[in-house]
Amino acid sequence: MRFRFFLGEALDSLTRNWVMSVAAIVTVLVSMFVLGIGAFVFFNLQNATSGVRNKLEIEVFIKNTASQDQVNQLGDQIKGMPEVKSMDFVSKDEALQRLRDSMKGHEDVLAALSGNPLPASFEIFLKDTNQTNLVASRFYNNQTVDNSPVADSADNPITLAGDLSDGATNMTVTAGGGAQFAKDMYFHIDNEVMRVTDNPNGDTMNIARAQAGTKAEAHSKGAEIYGEDGVKTGGNTTARVNAVANYTLIGGSGFVILLAVASVLLISNTIRLSIFARRREVEIMRLVGATNWFIRWPFVMEGVFTGLLGATAAVILVIIVQNSIIDVISSQLSFLGAEAVPTGWLLLSIIGGGILLGSVGSALALRRFLKI
Amino acid sequence: MIRFENVTKIYDPNIVGLQDVNVHIGRGDFAFLVGHSGSGKSTFIRLLLKEFEPSRGSITVAGRNLQRMRRGALPHHRRNIGCVFQDFKLLPNRTVAENVAYALRVTGQPARAIRRKVPEILQLVGLGEKMSNLPDELSAGEQQRVSVARAFVNHPSLLVADEPTGNLDPDTSVGIMQLLYRINRTGTTVLMATHDREMVDKMRKRVIALEGGKVIRDEDKGLYR
Ligand SMILES: Nc1ncnc2c1ncn2[C@@H]1O[C@H](COP(=O)(O)OP(=O)(O)OP(=O)(O)O)[C@@H](O)[C@H]1O
Ligand SMILES: [Mg+2]
Repeated sequence: MRFRFFLGEALDSLTRNWVMSVAAIVTVLVSMFVLGIGAFVFFNLQNATSGVRNKLEIEVFIKNTASQDQVNQLGDQIKGMPEVKSMDFVSKDEALQRLRDSMKGHEDVLAALSGNPLPASFEIFLKDTNQTNLVASRFYNNQTVDNSPVADSADNPITLAGDLSDGATNMTVTAGGGAQFAKDMYFHIDNEVMRVTDNPNGDTMNIARAQAGTKAEAHSKGAEIYGEDGVKTGGNTTARVNAVANYTLIGGSGFVILLAVASVLLISNTIRLSIFARRREVEIMRLVGATNWFIRWPFVMEGVFTGLLGATAAVILVIIVQNSIIDVISSQLSFLGAEAVPTGWLLLSIIGGGILLGSVGSALALRRFLKI
Repeated sequence: MIRFENVTKIYDPNIVGLQDVNVHIGRGDFAFLVGHSGSGKSTFIRLLLKEFEPSRGSITVAGRNLQRMRRGALPHHRRNIGCVFQDFKLLPNRTVAENVAYALRVTGQPARAIRRKVPEILQLVGLGEKMSNLPDELSAGEQQRVSVARAFVNHPSLLVADEPTGNLDPDTSVGIMQLLYRINRTGTTVLMATHDREMVDKMRKRVIALEGGKVIRDEDKGLYR
């Protein structure tokens, strides 16, 4: 009974100065809407980065012509790299099976394949995604890896013509054929990482060991240079998406806090006006023996109701936006995975947030303007 | 029912409201509080309601000492006193029935009791037909009857009225007076502050006369004089 009475009183005051009430409701709506969309974007990005993180960083495809010894040697080499967290070997058969699994329902397409054209590969996971490029570069120019020879024409592979002597950290080599190297590019000569330090003209260049102090034993005179098309990396997106997620979090929180403060102040001001409009009634209520809380409840509920109305409107808006705009975006950025955010949870916290803003707003007004 | 012992009320800055007042009004009594404007009648009544504290002395209402009363007990104290004012103090944008129901809601009465008691009491004051009117659709006399109904609906043991007929014509005043008289006959103590000489002389009830905040006369079956 009392609850219904208070509710009626609260709604009465809400509608009586409806301009202020609408203003307060709209600020709650805006702040909760920004909270909702911000949280949605943040969680989606988080989701996406954790997805990317779990994907492999480097995939190294193996030449079909490579011997078992060469494959074992490459595997041991990868295992020995300090940056590597773990590594999987995917055989040709497994690769084909994966392709079959991913093409369920389109088996006819696979049937057209003769034999198994897919290469075996090593899947490499790193401890630190920042080292993707460095590690990947070690497989460039590697003949076990399914890299094609760098060529200036279809059948004229480039060949190093310089001499890499014992202990040298720097040398000048001449690449036969057309030059394909740029400054700071990494490549390998006999399993040692080399960096192009200078590339003054087409086919002569200075190279240096990427890691100083390693022993160079290789002589690569006449070695053929292979490209990097047998190596795939996927880690670059992670850092970028991570950064966007963090900006969303920081910028979004700041904005939401600002808007929340504005909402609280506006609600508090609305309640203050209600108290003012009812000061005579409050005086009469006291005379007929109303307790303090009997007088306060309608104002508290007015605030809570303002918050609730704004938050409900925000929830509706968030749902609409999620279903239209964001779904379209995420279907285009398929790497985001478009996974559903904990929507129920999010919408509940928006409602909770609205109620909180309303209560704080009315508490503020009651403390300052309804001294009992 | 009411006991004032050496009660003095000095307003800031040094204005005498009441001075050394000693009054005892028994349960079920009817008493007039008379005196010129500014003699302290309203001060007396507001002290009873504990709207403020006396500067000196002690006030006891229904056996409870007001100075020793906890803040939390104040609403209960007020529910036990029905009050009627010269300006009615009705809530302007609520119906007659809602105005009366207010006093019941405050005490936490269930909705059913409110639905039963409100028409009952409005019938008693002769306003059964005007339940859903707004106060400003009523005459002054009718408004005052609403206010009496509100004061009495909780059946308080004490009813105080501060110049309830001050804004009414003589005939209407008699109607209000009769209402208060009937309420007194149910056993409710009634204290009425008034300027109305004719009324006081006709009723021949106890008269407490104030002058400059002091009790100058207190007699049973008294006259206004
Ligand atoms: N809130 C107040 N602050 C200061 N002085 C006051 C206050 N209320 C009353 N007074 C003074 O106290 C004295 C008694 O006032 P009170 O209102 O009790 O008189 P009254 O008998 O009710 O007069 P009236 O018949 O005109 O209503 C007056 O001199 C008045 O000016
Ligand atoms: Mg007065």
